[in-house]
Amino acid sequence: MAAHVVIGASLTGASAAIALREQSVDAVVTLIGAEDGVPYERPPLSKGYLRGAVPLEKLMVRPPQFYSTQSIELMLGSRVTRVDSGRRIVHIADGKRVPYDTLLIATGVHNRRANLPGVDLEGVHSLRDVRDADRLRAEMRPGRKAVVVGMGFIGSEVAASLRHEGLEVTCIDPGKAPLGRILGEAVGATLATLHESYGVRTIFNDSVAAVEGGRRVEAVATKAGTRIPCEIVVLGVGVEPTVDFLDGSGVHVDNGVVVDQFCATNVPGIYAAGDVANHYHPVFGRHIRVEHWQNAMRQGAGAAPNMLGERVPYDEVPWFWSDQYDANIQYAGFHTSYDELVVRGQLNGASYAAFYMTGGLIDAVVGLNNAKDVRRTMPLIKARRPVDPDRLRDDKVDLRSLLDKG
Amino acid sequence: MAEVFVPAIKTADVPPNGMAVVDVKGTRIAIADVQGTYYAFDDECTHEQCSLAEGDLAGTTVTCMCHGAEFDVRTGAVIAPPAVVPIRVYRTRVDGDALHIEV
Repeated sequence: MAAHVVIGASLTGASAAIALREQSVDAVVTLIGAEDGVPYERPPLSKGYLRGAVPLEKLMVRPPQFYSTQSIELMLGSRVTRVDSGRRIVHIADGKRVPYDTLLIATGVHNRRANLPGVDLEGVHSLRDVRDADRLRAEMRPGRKAVVVGMGFIGSEVAASLRHEGLEVTCIDPGKAPLGRILGEAVGATLATLHESYGVRTIFNDSVAAVEGGRRVEAVATKAGTRIPCEIVVLGVGVEPTVDFLDGSGVHVDNGVVVDQFCATNVPGIYAAGDVANHYHPVFGRHIRVEHWQNAMRQGAGAAPNMLGERVPYDEVPWFWSDQYDANIQYAGFHTSYDELVVRGQLNGASYAAFYMTGGLIDAVVGLNNAKDVRRTMPLIKARRPVDPDRLRDDKVDLRSLLDKG
Repeated sequence: MAEVFVPAIKTADVPPNGMAVVDVKGTRIAIADVQGTYYAFDDECTHEQCSLAEGDLAGTTVTCMCHGAEFDVRTGAVIAPPAVVPIRVYRTRVDGDALHIEV
């Protein structure tokens, strides 16, 4: 019986373990996780869970007893220190050794540490796991002043949740708009308006020089010289793939673990999936690393058949959502640059879709309160066929009809 | 408790191969027309309570537009997450020009 070991008891890792079990009744499946609890989904940590509206049980990928009934061995609270790829053994911090035939790396990412004076003061938070969310939740009280540093997805969602709970919120971002680096300034500006309409103070083109205070945070000082008194600081300044334990394993690391379209690394028997994987995506013809829920779940499951000896490329179009205030933001595809932003609807309206196009192809789409058009664009992205921008702009055209006109 | 068929909507008011939503005894129920066969199911997605009738219907699969959950309109089974819990389905019967739902 082959032994399949998954490092990372996360959505990716659990999805892989579940798929391995479904596809091989006699495989030995072991799921190793650094956290103490069973695998859970992280998106609610900045939204419903943080606001106290969604309990922990709702976050669990499967109920705790599921793993024993499915003969999936859980090794929780177990930090992997090293992978001996020659002998095919995983080393755990407590001295245990776990042999494998195939290994999936699903360790995800960790928060980048902000290199700033004062980040260790009480009241300074970052958000990655459920304990982080609990600590922040415990300090959230109406009327308190909070500063959110960095307006990526986590920062934007935390700002919305804090506002929802009645805190006074100031956001600081070095870019010109929230998510401007990813979505572009024009789309980002609509999100800035959204935050401001809910009473968030936004500061762009500036960054934090220091967090000030005695024992506890009292203020944030910016490089441009603004001082913002506050009781809470939330840092959302980016993430890094968790790959330190791979030193000496021979696994190729470059912006995460580099894998081919089958989620396989350069080392035989070792695979990677989820946030940590820099995956060759056959639709886009390049390596991409995606840090979102759908990729975590589907790519984890997508690695499983390849670990069992098949050759199945992972080619799903990445997709994610972000709920902020009463707005639903969705994005599908992948882009890092574009020659044309084609807008369907009005960017200053209550809903729109915007298509990131290069060479006549849609690489990605973002929608504000327009999930339907985002979802209907996904087959167009996957088809890699030129699409007439005028048809995309015309909101009387059903996007599903464009797929047939190949 | 005996469940009974009650008139819910005129079949002409369900878009061909589309969906409509009705209120029956205080419950929002979605009606899907799949090639002339009618299926009835709870309109609320079991994930975050979005309206499934506002989603897309392809064959017998309804996709929730909020977060992409998919259900089989014949059985209510979850086809794709993030939903975990199936939707409730109801038996239907066409009587003249009216669609009746067992509730």
